Amino acid sequence: MNKNEFLTILHAHLSVLPPEERNELMNDYETHFAFGLQNGKTETEIVQELGDPEELAKEAIGERRIPQEQVYWFPPGQQQPQPASPPAAIKSRGSFATVMVYIGLFFLNLIVIPSLISLWGFGVSFVLIAFSGFLSPIALLFDYFLHGVFFPAKGFAVIVLIGIGILFTIISRYTIKGLLEISSRYLAWNIRAIQGGEKR
Amino acid sequence: MDINVQFKKGALELCILVLIHERDRYGYELAQSVSEHIEIAEGALYPLLRRLVNDGYCTTYLQESTEGPPRKYYKLTAQGELHMRELIVEWKHFVNSVSSLIEKGSKS
Repeated sequence: MNKNEFLTILHAHLSVLPPEERNELMNDYETHFAFGLQNGKTETEIVQELGDPEELAKEAIGERRIPQEQVYWFPPGQQQPQPASPPAAIKSRGSFATVMVYIGLFFLNLIVIPSLISLWGFGVSFVLIAFSGFLSPIALLFDYFLHGVFFPAKGFAVIVLIGIGILFTIISRYTIKGLLEISSRYLAWNIRAIQGGEKR
Repeated sequence: MDINVQFKKGALELCILVLIHERDRYGYELAQSVSEHIEIAEGALYPLLRRLVNDGYCTTYLQESTEGPPRKYYKLTAQGELHMRELIVEWKHFVNSVSSLIEKGSKS
């Protein structure tokens, strides 16, 4: 192996290091070659003295992760320092707590879900009022064709009913929107509570 | 890996610290000085030197030379000297322990 081969292999195996660190090390080895050649050694000799580039790269990468005060043995009586414990894993809920959450949600939903349904009843009825208000002219038309008589009072009533329909269209629009929001939020909260509540 | 290699690796840090303590030295010089006494892969020196610098045991400075590239000299810090003394005490203790163990074992 010659100098170029050695440096190429080394460079390739050091690719995990940040570039400035890698360049500095590469520079060290290049300088070593320069001094060796100056002292009358051949490239092959220097490569032999340096050792296997793959091993050296492993060492260079390994050295970085070795904690400070690294000692190769410990005198008797001195405790070998314990490796720092890994950060405590995110606590997952025990099975008992999970069962309790399910039970709690069950009783809560026993109350909340009927209330939500009755609220939705309001919403749906608003929509129906608006709809029937718009249907009233058709009803008047049917009435006229069936009986053949036209009461102007009924005509005025239809106008009023259409007015009410327009009003309730506006009301039901906001009501349905609000109900959808409340329902979806409540559902999402339920799912969060079941999953453990640590996600936000 | 050869157990012998592990021995040498462990001792290498101490040897380097002592050599730098003696006087400021540059990488190639250190490699030559160590090789005089123990046979090692000289390339292992540079990662070790980098760590010594990172741990604050050594500092480096560049010095131009009349021939060849500028030399990167390593200089022991006060902290490095303390570390060296600790390692020497540990080393002596270790060697004594192993020696007495061998003596006891080979007698019987």
